[in-house]
Amino acid sequence: MSKPTPLLPESDAREAALFFVVAALCFLAVLAALTARGTYTAAKAWSAQVEGQMTVRLMDTDRRGADEAAAIVRGLYGVESASVLSQAEMEALLAPSFGPGGIPEGVPLPLLIAVETMASAPADAETVSSALKAAGFNAVAEAHATYAAEARRALGTLRVAAIGVVVLLTATAIAVIAFATHAALLARKDIVDVLHLAGAEDSFIAHLFERRFWILGLKAGAAGSVSALAVTAMIVFSARSAGSQSQLLPQLSLDFWDLLILAITPVAAGLAARWAARGTVTHSLRATL
Amino acid sequence: MNRFRPDFSDDPAVELNGVSLRYDTADDVLSDINIRLKPGSFTFLTGASGAGKSSLLKLLYLALAPTAGDIRLFGQRTGMLKRKQLSAIRRRIGVVFQDFRLLEHLTAFENVALPLRVAGQKEAAYRTEVVDLLRWVGLGERLNARPPQLSGGEQQRVAIARALINKPDLLIADEPTGNVDPDMARRIFRLFQELNRRLDTTIIIATHDMHIIREFESPVLRLQHGILVEDVEFQGA
Repeated sequence: MSKPTPLLPESDAREAALFFVVAALCFLAVLAALTARGTYTAAKAWSAQVEGQMTVRLMDTDRRGADEAAAIVRGLYGVESASVLSQAEMEALLAPSFGPGGIPEGVPLPLLIAVETMASAPADAETVSSALKAAGFNAVAEAHATYAAEARRALGTLRVAAIGVVVLLTATAIAVIAFATHAALLARKDIVDVLHLAGAEDSFIAHLFERRFWILGLKAGAAGSVSALAVTAMIVFSARSAGSQSQLLPQLSLDFWDLLILAITPVAAGLAARWAARGTVTHSLRATL
Repeated sequence: MNRFRPDFSDDPAVELNGVSLRYDTADDVLSDINIRLKPGSFTFLTGASGAGKSSLLKLLYLALAPTAGDIRLFGQRTGMLKRKQLSAIRRRIGVVFQDFRLLEHLTAFENVALPLRVAGQKEAAYRTEVVDLLRWVGLGERLNARPPQLSGGEQQRVAIARALINKPDLLIADEPTGNVDPDMARRIFRLFQELNRRLDTTIIIATHDMHIIREFESPVLRLQHGILVEDVEFQGA
């Protein structure tokens, strides 16, 4: 006994176009989610690193005085380490401003102490400045966390924007599928009428369309998801191979959450397609007797 | 104009009381229709084009709801039924159309089996029954042919077999021989007559073919401008 022919005919050109649209929407949604997550992860790691750092600027003292100041800072509660930056480290730090020729002769430079604070109970800049001033040093301490706060605000905005883009794309996909289902229903009105007259219940007819669009959504979602993964990987690897050292480049690690986004997208697309199809068919059938 | 109110029995299969139908804001297509058809009756419905025959049949096979009056099928007021109950009533009705309304992507076998598939039956349970019915309508050799491969007469016989597969209590045919030659038309009407005699199925056939109506001596309902009028060829039950 052969497998019965599906009651809805095989897909037509309209469904191929719909497949492309849903795949493109899923591609954009996954791209937005992966890029936002990668950027957020990279930026979070950068800000966590920066938040534990402090720089002390010393004026009117020499290298020996700077070493004494560093020893005082090391002795403060909440300080992990403190060391005076060498000439080579200073030059590396200022290289973006002065270029490969190094720092010109006669430019007055302060002595700098790089301080790492304890993660659990970090010393604040005020405590470090006060301690050095009490020891007779002309010193100003600056916590890098001040700059990280700006980055954190930007990250928050980025995250909200990414969620907004994903929600918008999902809503667009549902609307497109509902529209396509309605068109498919009209195109198959002859079949729906015959089924209806044969005594088919609304749920039976809706199930035919649900199944068709569930499979279409699954396949289109998988195509969009895999394409987005490939494009994201290409962008990251081409940026890395071009020698960019920016720590803010998205990090594509394919960890649990990335894999979850990739796996969930086709299922979400399939479910959205199924839900949109069911709603549209049921609504249309209820308009008839 | 005389209003025709045939009354066949106290326990009708089909009963229409004061039924009117109007599409949108136009005038009534059907006006104050009263019909009672007893179970197992064989009735012709006739009238000129636009008289309202197809509209009346649409009310009977539950494709439309009346704008006034009530319809009782097998003793149940259709206006009071829920959607699931209406589907159950539709499964007791077979419908044959002039344009066949077969699904072109399905074979003759699958088209006939459609009402059983819709009812959730598996092929193993209905295969013999469908094949026997297709043999009865003379299409035992055309089981796997799709509608475009069949002649008009063959397609109509597939449509009839589809309407009969559920052993309906009521068979409604809307100009069933409009697209077939006179010989085939006569064969199809004999099929209906045989079905009516063998299974006691209530049959109502819309046709404007007066030769057929005269040949098959059965009661005739005639519509004129949406009103049911007495017909000179009415034979009684």
